[in-house]
Amino acid sequence: MSEEQKVAIVACAGMDKPLGSVARACAFKVVEVLKPEDSVLVCIPPLVAGVKPHSEWIKEYPIITIDGCPERCATKIVAKMGGKIRGRVFIPQSVQRHELRPKFSADIGLDGEKLAEKIADETALLIDKILRK
Amino acid sequence: MAIVKDKVGIVSCSGEDLPEGTISRIATRIVLEKLRPDETVTICLPLFLAGSEDERAFARVFPTIAVDGCDKRCAEVGVKKYSGEPVATIVVSEIVKKYPRLKVKSRDNLSDEEKELANIIAETISKKVDEVLGRKSREV
Repeated sequence: MSEEQKVAIVACAGMDKPLGSVARACAFKVVEVLKPEDSVLVCIPPLVAGVKPHSEWIKEYPIITIDGCPERCATKIVAKMGGKIRGRVFIPQSVQRHELRPKFSADIGLDGEKLAEKIADETALLIDKILRK
Repeated sequence: MAIVKDKVGIVSCSGEDLPEGTISRIATRIVLEKLRPDETVTICLPLFLAGSEDERAFARVFPTIAVDGCDKRCAEVGVKKYSGEPVATIVVSEIVKKYPRLKVKSRDNLSDEEKELANIIAETISKKVDEVLGRKSREV
């Protein structure tokens, strides 16, 4: 598979809210389990600091942002840096849709894990759509 | 601007790139929730970097400790850029080297060894908090 056929995942990793931890867990499930060949995980702090390869990935690949709260930091940062956002996941909406609530930021618990899995499945479908699979 | 010394802000690496980032994140939560809940607040790094003036103003007024997963020191770089010099930086990968028997592998779920390291890092952060506030270190 050519390097062009990947999607960059940029997830909120906010640690002051449990939904930030769900966003993060969901991103790991996508890039490590569901779509390891089709996705890369962009880490926000090195992206903003201009550290490669994160700063290059958002120029090269279509992007899915995963936001954990209405601040939507992942989306804001990618937009500010000129990345092409092709899909957005908003965890608070997913919480309502799936009726699963994470416990704490440090430990999202069983429901938080289930929620992350469901959102990861949806994100994987979004990747297929973007890559026209 | 005068630095207020009754709370310490902790800016942690959000750690998606390396397991050490995950350890820094968990260690920070241990400090915030268990070890020094009354003396510390967290500054959300993505929010800080996205441009939240509240988070940046806090780090200008209150002493701030950066907890970084690796020597890229993204948290420290961010604080310096937007709010000024942090009072201290703790680099998890440097501390981990002192404990070769404890293996660091997962970016997602921490093993017992990684949890032990998170507790060691949390103690290091707590001692630094006490130092910054001019207090005697408590047993943690």
